[in-house]
Amino acid sequence: MDETVAEYIRRTVLKIPRDEIKTMLQKWGFLSEAQLQTLNFHQRKDNISQDVVHLCEENSADIKQAAILDITYNHFYQNKRMWSVYQMKKSGEELEFFDITDFKKKFKGRLRSALKNVTITFKEYEDNAIWIRVAWGTPYKKPNQYKPSYVVYHSQTPYVFISASVLKSTLPLLCQALIVASNYHDIREMELRSHSLNSLKDIVFKRYSQNFQTYYPKPLQGRNVEPENADIRIVQENRSEKERIHRLNWEVFGGGPQPKLEFAQYKLETMFKSDPKMGVLDKKEPFRCLVKFSSPHLLESLKSLAPAGMADAPLSPLLTCIPHKARNYFKIREKKGLFPESFVSP
Amino acid sequence: ENVDPQKTAFLLRKAWTLYSVTPLYRFHRARLRDYARLLSAFIAAEKQKGLAVEVGVELDIKVAVSSLADLRGSEQDQAAVLVQLSLRSRASSRNSEDKLVWLGWFCSVYGDDLSENVPEDFTCLPLFLTHGAESYTSMVGSWFQKTFDCCFRRLAISPLNLSWMVAMWAGCKLDRAASAVELDFSVPHLSQPLDISYAIHPEDAKALWDTVQKMPGEITQEEVDVFMDCLYAHFHRHFKIHLSAAKLVKVSTAVASAHCDGIVKILHSQYLPGVLMLLTELAISQIQ
Repeated sequence: MDETVAEYIRRTVLKIPRDEIKTMLQKWGFLSEAQLQTLNFHQRKDNISQDVVHLCEENSADIKQAAILDITYNHFYQNKRMWSVYQMKKSGEELEFFDITDFKKKFKGRLRSALKNVTITFKEYEDNAIWIRVAWGTPYKKPNQYKPSYVVYHSQTPYVFISASVLKSTLPLLCQALIVASNYHDIREMELRSHSLNSLKDIVFKRYSQNFQTYYPKPLQGRNVEPENADIRIVQENRSEKERIHRLNWEVFGGGPQPKLEFAQYKLETMFKSDPKMGVLDKKEPFRCLVKFSSPHLLESLKSLAPAGMADAPLSPLLTCIPHKARNYFKIREKKGLFPESFVSP
Repeated sequence: ENVDPQKTAFLLRKAWTLYSVTPLYRFHRARLRDYARLLSAFIAAEKQKGLAVEVGVELDIKVAVSSLADLRGSEQDQAAVLVQLSLRSRASSRNSEDKLVWLGWFCSVYGDDLSENVPEDFTCLPLFLTHGAESYTSMVGSWFQKTFDCCFRRLAISPLNLSWMVAMWAGCKLDRAASAVELDFSVPHLSQPLDISYAIHPEDAKALWDTVQKMPGEITQEEVDVFMDCLYAHFHRHFKIHLSAAKLVKVSTAVASAHCDGIVKILHSQYLPGVLMLLTELAISQIQ
């Protein structure tokens, strides 16, 4: 077995928490159950990984199998990576039959014609996701297995999720190969990024509970904002206001769980407006700001701002549009004309 | 007032943890080398007791205590005192350099409010700044407390003081391209905590402050409030969120940055005295 492959397998196993190593190796499927039985998972990780490498040697593992182990690891720990969303565009409307073999062939062909040294690996999952791993080399160097790019493609959709290699120059080539292989003619990056791959899918595939702006008369009377107090001396002063906020929140966010995003970023290039009495800044140029919101679960957090008294209800459309506009990076400029208070996001 | 930038370069671009210190009893500047020896022995004893900071290799801690004559505000201020802890490996030869592991310095910049009112035997150096492992800070602090009967307390910086800092520093004139004026807020008590970072282009922030400030060289609470209200209003216009109800946790500008837990980074030597003066004032109000 090639010693770089051995080292790569060893290091990959070391990344896995000890309790998960057996499961990961089973998911990988390269070592037989009998071989796995011979491993002692209670020893130090250093030793476990050495033993795994020995077993791989017995099976003459090559870089292909090692790459599949890496995909298995990254599929399991997908939320460790940052994912960006790309949308592909077709010229015609025809829904062509997707042929996975053709896709793989064209993808590999496109990459290999540009770059001789690449390692390309595919793995398909039950949810119609095709995971692609590409390790990049140069005409003179073997591929760097430690800085690969990962692509997740759902063939029934025009969306591709990319966790790019730190070798940034590889991205254009990767995009090209994708459109060639999938018979699209263009690809663009959406302003949508997150660690939570599933949430990105929820957003672009519209899998979260949305509310379509229908009016619900007498909404949610049965659903109390707060549990009734047994003590009748305690009276809710702002009950109607609380209910109004609750209803507006429900209208905007829906009743179900929100997609999990960690941040949203707004580049503001709008004018600074103030009460003329204050006698402050009155420039004709934009007041340039960069605002970032971050949270373990951003949308849930924003949803709770108005009920907490921290924000007005309804919340600003700049925030509530995140899921249905499928973006969390925005550039906001002043909208000229009739409605000076509204904003334009290009 | 004119501090030699060479001598104070080491203060810049480091994150300093701030403490207030009550006046030191019978601290004698002539005995700095003795103090260094005693502190060194104290640290060695603490490590023997099992409070070692390094595992594995046995290392000597070398202590240096010195006076920084230039680091003060007025003539009434005591000159700053610097304590340096270095590691010297026993295994190393003579030429190997000692590795600086911890720095701490006491200072007073226009601390007259305090020094005017203390008896003679006391030395006022109300501000203590440290950089390095907490375990060393703890040992140095304990020794000073025992030896000079003083008291150390972490210096928290309130949102009110942070707003003063950001308003002041946003207005500073800088020759080079400056970094953004950034305010970091936290909204902890939600179902999911939320952090908000609000960064303003330094030219625009300065332009705003310039129209708010009435007399150059003078800042009033009202002006700081107006400045902050403007920023809050601009934010509310876009997001409908009341930023004033969130907790201001950190402010950063090209001059300096400050965190509410009492951590400060000074980036520009030109404004070093101004920043230290403000921090001395905070330390004194915590003591009194």
